[in-house]
This record gives sequence, structure tokens and C-alpha cells, in this order.
Amino acid sequence: MNDSVSVLTLFLFNIVLVNIPLLYGTVGEILVEKSGSLDLGVEGTMAIGAIFGYLAGCAADSLLVGLAVSFLTAGLCGLLFAVLTVSFQANQNVTGLTITTFGLGLYFFVGKGIGEKWPAMTSSSALVDGFAPVELPLLSKIPMLGKAFFSQNLLVYLGIGTAVLVWWYLHCTKTGLRLRAVGENPGAADSVGVNIVLYKFAHLIAGSGIMGLGGFYMALYMSGSFEGSNCWINGYGWIAIALVIFANWNPVLAILGTLVFGFFNTLQIYAGALAGAFPGALGWLGSVPPHLLKALPFLITAIVLIASSIRAREGSGQPAALGMNYFREER
Amino acid sequence: MEQQYAIEMRGICKSFGSVAANKDINLNVKPGEILALLGENGSGKTTLMNMLSGIYKPDSGSILVDGREVSINSPEDAKKLGIGMVHQHFKLVDVFSAADNIWLGDDKSGQVLKKDRYDVIRDMAQKFGFDIDPRKKVYNMAVSEKQTLEIVKVLYYGAKIIILDEPTAVLTVQETAKLFDVLRRMKAEGHAIIIITHKLNEVLEISDRVAILRKGEYITTVDTASTSEQQLTEYMVGRKVELNIDRPEVDKTRPLLEIRDLTIKNDEGAVAIDRVNFYIRGGEILGVAGIAGCGQKELCEAIAGLRPIEGGMMIHQGDNIVGLSPKAILAKGISMSFIPEDRLGMGLAPSMSITDNMLLKKYDQAKGPFVDRKLGRAEARQVIADLEIVTPSTETPVRRLSGGNVQKVLLGREIKSGPNVIVTAYPVRGLDINSSYAIYNILNTQKKDGVGILFVGEDLDVMIDLCDKIMVLCHGRVMGVVHAHKTSKEELGLMMTGALDLSSKYEDKPAGIARDSRIEESREVEE
Amino acid sequence: MKNRQPLFHVVKRDHDSPGRQVLAYVAAVVLALAVGAVLLAVQGVEPVTFYKQMLTMGIPGSRYPWRAVENFIRLFVPLLIVSLALALAFKMRFWNIGGEGQFIMGAFWAGVAAMKLGETLPQPAMVLVMAAAGALGGGLYGVFVAALKVKFGTNETLLTLMLNYVALYFVQYFAETKAAWNFFLDAESARPKFAKFPASAQMITIPVGPFNLNLTLLAAIGLAALLFVYLNYTKRGYEIAVVGDSPNTARYAGMKVGRIVIRTIFLSAALIGMAGAFQVSSAGIMSASPTNDVGWTGVVVAWLAKLNTVGIVVASLLITVLQFGCQAASTTYPSIDANFAKLLQGVILFIVLAADFFTRFKLVRRKEAAK
Repeated sequence: MNDSVSVLTLFLFNIVLVNIPLLYGTVGEILVEKSGSLDLGVEGTMAIGAIFGYLAGCAADSLLVGLAVSFLTAGLCGLLFAVLTVSFQANQNVTGLTITTFGLGLYFFVGKGIGEKWPAMTSSSALVDGFAPVELPLLSKIPMLGKAFFSQNLLVYLGIGTAVLVWWYLHCTKTGLRLRAVGENPGAADSVGVNIVLYKFAHLIAGSGIMGLGGFYMALYMSGSFEGSNCWINGYGWIAIALVIFANWNPVLAILGTLVFGFFNTLQIYAGALAGAFPGALGWLGSVPPHLLKALPFLITAIVLIASSIRAREGSGQPAALGMNYFREER
Repeated sequence: MEQQYAIEMRGICKSFGSVAANKDINLNVKPGEILALLGENGSGKTTLMNMLSGIYKPDSGSILVDGREVSINSPEDAKKLGIGMVHQHFKLVDVFSAADNIWLGDDKSGQVLKKDRYDVIRDMAQKFGFDIDPRKKVYNMAVSEKQTLEIVKVLYYGAKIIILDEPTAVLTVQETAKLFDVLRRMKAEGHAIIIITHKLNEVLEISDRVAILRKGEYITTVDTASTSEQQLTEYMVGRKVELNIDRPEVDKTRPLLEIRDLTIKNDEGAVAIDRVNFYIRGGEILGVAGIAGCGQKELCEAIAGLRPIEGGMMIHQGDNIVGLSPKAILAKGISMSFIPEDRLGMGLAPSMSITDNMLLKKYDQAKGPFVDRKLGRAEARQVIADLEIVTPSTETPVRRLSGGNVQKVLLGREIKSGPNVIVTAYPVRGLDINSSYAIYNILNTQKKDGVGILFVGEDLDVMIDLCDKIMVLCHGRVMGVVHAHKTSKEELGLMMTGALDLSSKYEDKPAGIARDSRIEESREVEE
Repeated sequence: MKNRQPLFHVVKRDHDSPGRQVLAYVAAVVLALAVGAVLLAVQGVEPVTFYKQMLTMGIPGSRYPWRAVENFIRLFVPLLIVSLALALAFKMRFWNIGGEGQFIMGAFWAGVAAMKLGETLPQPAMVLVMAAAGALGGGLYGVFVAALKVKFGTNETLLTLMLNYVALYFVQYFAETKAAWNFFLDAESARPKFAKFPASAQMITIPVGPFNLNLTLLAAIGLAALLFVYLNYTKRGYEIAVVGDSPNTARYAGMKVGRIVIRTIFLSAALIGMAGAFQVSSAGIMSASPTNDVGWTGVVVAWLAKLNTVGIVVASLLITVLQFGCQAASTTYPSIDANFAKLLQGVILFIVLAADFFTRFKLVRRKEAAK
């Protein structure tokens, strides 16, 4: 029985540990989409934040430098998106896809280029220590949940904190209120003096920066080992876009969504172990195809998307002007 | 000391592409004054006001606020200068509450949103005599509530100069009275107010002075106390100008198209056409006059089968056309051409060539899977020659043609299809004199061939000369149908503004119902 | 505040000049190569020799030059077909970014046909059946979204995106599940492994000397020509042009806009599905990830070409040269990855997107405007 508890605990622990980058990506994308921009470049943005953050963190032997550089480099992707779509009125879908293409291209270019001289994460004690679990006093003593939620690394807490903060920003501050207005009806926001261009730029940069932090997390989780064939991000950017819809554009619901998506994500790996630990209750898990679990988040999101378009828009968090460019003198 | 103007506009010009919306406009308002801005639609009032609110930038001219020259580059600048505008099309975020819509532009309170903002907004609104529910979401509001919110919003921002674009159009009589009380109070507190309206009685009731625009030009400003409805109408529509447009006498047929009790709603769900009766005979041109936006567009769309109707009958040569598809209506020989304000939106595919646009309604009549471009090209060539269209070739995209030529392409195509009823709205919008005459000639030729024509127009001079009869609409209701050679511009102007109602002039027969209607006949057959 | 005016004022252009556009595109490619050259130099790679290898795609001096051309064609054909198909959807302002999923579904159903009927039908019939199965599979997968969009206004960008992954994991399930019913797998192998298609389900190739011309190349070029005719000369193509240009005008002309959108999206997705069928048929075996990212790259190509059929042929050729060339050149330069092509592709598109602005809008100096 003790063994089964430890399997369950490990399962819960990993749901959180492995999937927090999704939360970063999702929260960043929510911030971006709330300003009316549909940025499909999350995957590329995260890749860029990941590799540059990691390299800078190793070089400086500092977690903070790593965080800052991943935020800034990913923020540059947001800036690029903003220049192209806001200043130059380019198509958002194409621009986003291009950022993904470019980001992945740059990721492999830099990684391959460094080649033999690639820094190992073990060489940077700051990064290793920074990613080590930090047990919160008292809370971490709660059975099972304590290990899963309160014995995680600093970046997990930072991610959850960011989500809550962004929620507070969107719903409890005036700047957040204005931001939502920009995404809903830029004409209305413009008419009361909200600077549309500034808001779009600022939130594209900040949102992309947050995505970059998720990339940095991923780099640390992968112990900084660069592989020529697979990117660290490995599709998390795309899942994040799905998660935004699933979370109904709400950063706090995104935490819940991350856990739900993460549950399926991690279940693929732990299905066998769980079935073995609880043969009575969870024995059937062993026979569930892992592919179904992988597809489930996307399937659920598709259903959410369809359902929300069928019933009235009331209560949906989707910004009304999502994906549309704004040109004031349009007649 | 002479009192300074709160706002002064000098020599303002603004054009969109080749269309001049404002030509050398001068306007001023003093603090503590209500200025009414009067003019037909298309006279450039809204464009002019949008330059004060920072939506557009003038091409030339200067704007002075409190005697200082300013540059208004954005709505933010306008707000900082104390200019607030209540737009005709509401600028509200649907999913926000009333309070949040106001809070958006608030600069005074702190960053953090507190619950007390609802009370602040409610108290503030009550102070001005408005009763709003600050927590109500905009998508749950009625049109009049949204209007009220817009006004409260501008007042809250503490604007010293307040512009209202047709604020009373959606308000009830009681609400209008309330609004006017507020405006008078604002005026007493020293605000400068500009109100755009078509309703002459309201102009006389509320304003101190009236500025009149006509066709983008500034006419004059008069003191309200020393003017009358007649005089204002005359300024607004201008004196009758002799145009020498032919009005050939043609033998008329029995009614081709009869409309009974037609009711149509607009996109916002408000009644746009209200129990309207009229008929068109072959060989006559029936003009439709009215301030723009009082149901003309909805009427045209309904006849063409593009808009569902709420009630009533539309009978074409004895056959009911209600509920038919646009294609079926087209097949019956009813052609509709509507020139919207941007002149490209409906009826033409702007990126496609003249040839392709010629084929728009008949591309699928060709045999086989291919479009018959040879036919299109031949028709294009013919229309270009007949209507003297200036274009590099038949393959030039329509969007590259100048305005007059675009309209000729549209009308040329409609006539080529050999219709028996032509519905045309604003066919000479934005055209120069020569192009306009070319269009009138086309219409007259059609009339002589026994076609019935519904001509929705803007220019009363033209309508009086060209049309046989003129139906006047005011807010979706028929004010009367008059014989063009017996009426006067003044009479039409008064009817358009709702000051004169001739719809029940002939008690024995309601206006708009033909004596030799086919409707009763077909009914008898049914019975 | 006093007279603070921005220097420029953005105005929409009335018309665009094709000359300016072509110039912008050539400049974009040159500029992107220049940026790439700088990056290569930083990595210590001689840019000129790298580019020479890239543009010649390693064909000269190769022991099997014909093999290189065959592989090039295998990369080029799916990209060309998918780009052409996506352009159809984009013309209707339908943001189909579900090319990946539709391609996979096409490949899947073609695979089903191959495994189930492969033994019974002769090669030409089998190839046709596979193409049809792929087209139907891809088409239905796409038209489902179109119907929802027309009926309920469902966001097609996000929905097609989600369905890409559903399709991906669906096929992976068949790739990795060892079971008696799973007819896709090689029964002899202990590990799950796709079985080769029966010989009749292999794509037909025409031997030209040592070179085997893949029939799909002819099909793709034929398709491009057909689409060119379809879009420019047929009634259906005419409807697409009108609906894409102005839905209001289309409705006014009596066209059933929803039906036209659905029909066109079906065609678009069906062609993508057919490309998937060609892909697996050419490979002679199913794949769990057959797309090689054409669903994404196709969006880029279609956009680069401004949805113009001839332009798409040119642009997809260019992108294939970049991709295949980088692959070829990277064999001599271990530090440069085949992904370098993506980087170049990205830079080209960034520049084109920025340049497009100046063909759509113009900046007017305030003083000039005042005159």
C-alpha cells in the first residue's frame, strides 16, 4: 500500500513538474490574445527564450540572468510580431507561423553551431540549484499534495504566481481593463483615448516574454542537453494555444487547465505504474492507448471551441476583435 | 472684452480619395452655447465632427480651442483638450458593464479597480439626472440605454466641449426632454455644445445658433431666435436650381411593382421601414427622398431579396416576390443597384475587371463549365462606348477606375440585363455634372422603353426635374407621395424633416395604393 | 501640445503595382541570404561555398545525381499541391491552417485502401483508388470545419489547428499499437512497425534512363494547370473570386455564399488529402508523421505567392530548393543543420511581410497632405 501511495505521489508531483511550461506559454498567450492579437508563434518564441536563456544562464552562472535573457529574447519575438502586424498591418496567422518557423530554425542553428562546446547544465551550479525542489514550510508536509505542490522548484511557484498576477492585472486594474477593451473593441478604446498601438506592443512583448520563461523552464527540465533532432519545446507551444481556449482566456483557469492537460500528458507515462499500484481501481488504465491521452487535450479544446460558437457569446472570454488588425481611418 | 470661442474651426478641408467631404468649413461655438449643426446626410457633418474628436485629421485648415491653435492627432488629444463626442454608432465594449465602459477612459482614479466605482458612476449619473445601472452589461442594454451611457461617459470625462451626433434619433420623447434638460444645465455651467440633428423642431427648441452645411460646404450660421423652420429648410436644401433634365412624357402601364404595408427591420433590430405603401408603373420614375439612413437601404435590399421583411406584401406584375431568392427576383426582371458611401461595397467586386463585373449576374447562364468572358468583354466594350467610361481597358480592375466610371459600370450592367423594374439608389453619388447627366439620360431611355424605375436620391433639384412622382420618407414612414412638377423643394424639405405629413391628404384613398392595383384582382381570382 | 504633428500619415493605397512587388520579393530573398551569410560566417562557415552547395543541391559531383533529383521531387510535389490547395481556402478568407491534419488523414485513408485492396487491384487502378481515398479522407476532415464556420461562425484557425494534433495522434496510434486487428503493421516484426504496401499500391514511376520520374510530379503540374484554369476560367472559379473579393456583392448577385465556401474548402482539403496519399504511395509505406511540415510551409508559400497559381509554383520551388539544398549542404557542414532553411525562410517572410505594407499603404508627409 505504501508503494502505491508513493506511485500516486510521484504521479501528482510530475503532473506539476513536467507541465508548468504549458502554464507559462498559456498565460503569455492569454496576455497577447487579450490585446486582440492571435500569435501562433508560441512554439518558436518559447524555443528562442529557451536556448538563449539557457546559454546566458550557463555563461553567467546565474538563474536570474537566465530568466531575464529568456524573457528579453522571447520578448523580441513579440516585438517583431507587433512591428509586423500592428505597424505594418501584416496578416497575424502568417506572421505567427513565420515566427515559429524562424524560431525553430534559429534554435537548431545556434545549438548545432555551438556543437561540441555546448555547456552542460552540471557546469552551472546556479542553474542546478535554482531548479532544485524548495520545500515550503508546513505545506509540504501535507500527505501527497505537499510533495506535489509544495516541494517544487522555484520556477513552479513563479509560474503559478505569474498566472495569478496576470489574472489580477486583467481583472482588477485599470490598465487591464483597458487592455481587454483593446481586444474587444479597439474603436471604442481608441475613442476614449487608449493608445491602441502602445497597448498592443507592450502586451505582445510582455506576453511573449512570459512564454520565453516557459521555454527556459523546459531547458532546465531537459537538463540543458541539446539534441539535434528534437526541440526542447516539443509541441508545448501549440498545446498552450489550445489551453488558452480551454481556460476561456482566464489565467487562473489556466492553472487548472494545465493540471488537466498535464494529467493526461503524465498519465501516458504513469498509466502502467498506476495500473500496477491500484490493480482493482485503475487496472483498466493499462489498456487505454497513450495516443488517446495525448490527443484528448486537443479533442476537448476542439469541442469547447465548437460548443462555445454554437451557444451565445455571453460569458466567453474570447476577445471579439481577436486576430483583426486595427486601422483607425477605416471607412 | 469679446468673448473667446470655446472652439473654432477655420477653413477645414477633408477628402477621402477623390471625394471631398468637407470644403473650407468655418465653425465656432462659445462657452455656454448650444450650436446645432444642420444639414442633409452626406453634407459632411459627421466627418467634420470626427476631426474634432480625433478620428480623422483635416487635410488643411486650423482648429482653435480657447483661442489657441491645436493639433488633434488622436482621440486622446481630443479628450485632453476637453472635447467629448457621443458618436451615432456607439463606441462601447459589449461585454463590459456600464461602469467599466466609463472607467476605461478615466484618468483620475487609481490603478486598482475597486467595487466603489459602481457607486461613483451611479452617483455621478444621478447628479446629471440619468438613471443607469452601473453593473449592467452593454449587451443587455436597449438602444436608448446605450445612448444614455455614451452621454454619461462624456460628461464623466468632464468635457467642456460636447458633440452629440444625432443623439435624439433613438430616444423617446420623454428621454429627449430629459436630455435637453441636461444640455441646458450643461450650457448654464458654461459648456459648449454642438448637436447634430435633422429634427427642425428640436433645433429650434434647444439651440442658440444653427450652422448649416450643404454638400460638404459651409452655408451660414444663424441665430435660432431669428429664424424659422422654413428658412432653415431653405438653407439646408438650397434654392431650386434649374438643371434642364428631360422628363419625357411616356404612356404609363399598370403597376409593375406594388408594395403594401411593408415593414422591415435594420441590422440593429429597429424598425427601418414602417408599414410603407407605394407602387411603380412602367414608364415612370418614382423618386424616394429622405434624410439618408431613414430606411432607403433596407427598402432596396428587401426588394432585391437580400433582407427578410417583417410584414407586408411585395407584388410584381401580380406575383408575390416575398421570400424569393435574390436570383429568382433577378429572373423576374427586377434589377437593384445601390451605391453605398464607399461606392464599391455592393454590386461590384472591386478587385475584378470590368469584364468580370459585367458577368456578375449572368455568369452561370453560359453553357458548359466556363465563364463566357467573350460575352463579358463584348458587353464591357459596349457599355464603355455607350456610357463613355474612361478606362485603360476592359480588363482593368473596377477599383482602379474613378468614381463616376465605377457607377457607370454598375448601372450599365444593370440596364444590359434588360430589366422591367430598376431600383437604383444614389446612382450619381459623387459624380461630376457631365457624368450625372449621362446617368439621367440612361434612366430616361429606360423609362421610354416602359421600365418602371425607383430612384433613391439625395439631390432634391434633380429629383424634382427627373422624377414623375416623389415619395418622401421620414424615419421609415411615408410622409406622402407628391407629383414632382407640382411640388417644391421647400415642401419636400419639410416632409423629410417630419414637419409636414401629407400621407393622409386624400382621405378616400391611402397614399401609395394604385387605383388599378393588381393585388385586389389576384385576390378575387383566389376567392 | 502646440502643433505637435507626426511627420507621416498612413493612407491606404488605391492600387498596387506588380513591379514594385516583384522587386520587393527579389530584394527579400537577397537580403535573407545576406543575413544568412553573416550568421554562417559567425559559425565559421564560408558562406559562398555553402550557398553554392545549397543552390546546386549537392547534385554535381554526386555519385547518384538522379537519386538527388528524385528526392527533390518527393519534397517538391507535396509542397506544391498543399500550397495550391491552401491558396484556394485563403482566397475565401478561410484560414485553413489544418493542412497537417488533412494531409495525415489523406495519407491514412490511402493507407487503408492500400492495405485492404492492394492485393486485389492492378497498379493503375490502385493508385487512383488511393488518391481518391486520400482526397475523400482529407476533404471530409476539412469540410467539417467549413460547415461549422458557415453555420455557427466557429473560429476556423483555432479549430483546424486542434484537429492537426488529433489526426497526428490518431495515426500514431495505428503506428505504435501491436494488435491482431492492426492491418497496417508488419506481422513478422515483434516491435510495431509499418508493413510495406503491396507492390500495386506503390506510386507509378516512369523510367527515363537511370532516372525514375515519379508520376506525382506530372500530376502536380497538371493539377497546377487545372487549378489555374479552374480559378481563372470556370464559373466555380468566378464564384470563388467574387466571394473572396466581396461577400456582400456575391450575395447581391444571388450566389449562395455558404455553399460556395463549403464546396471550396472541401476541394482544398481534398487536394491536401490527395497529396498525403501521393506521399505514402511514393514512399511505399505508411508513416506516423508523413507531412514533413508541408501544412505549415504551404501557408508560407501560398502567402509569399499572394495566392497566385503561377506564383505558388515559383515560391514552392524556391522553398524546396532552400530546404533540400540545406539538407544536402549540411552533410558537408556538420555544424549547419537542415533547419537553416527554416531560418532563411523565416527571414524572407519577415521582409516580405514588412515590404507588403508599402505596397498596400503609403506614407504621406503632413505638409504634402495639406496642399
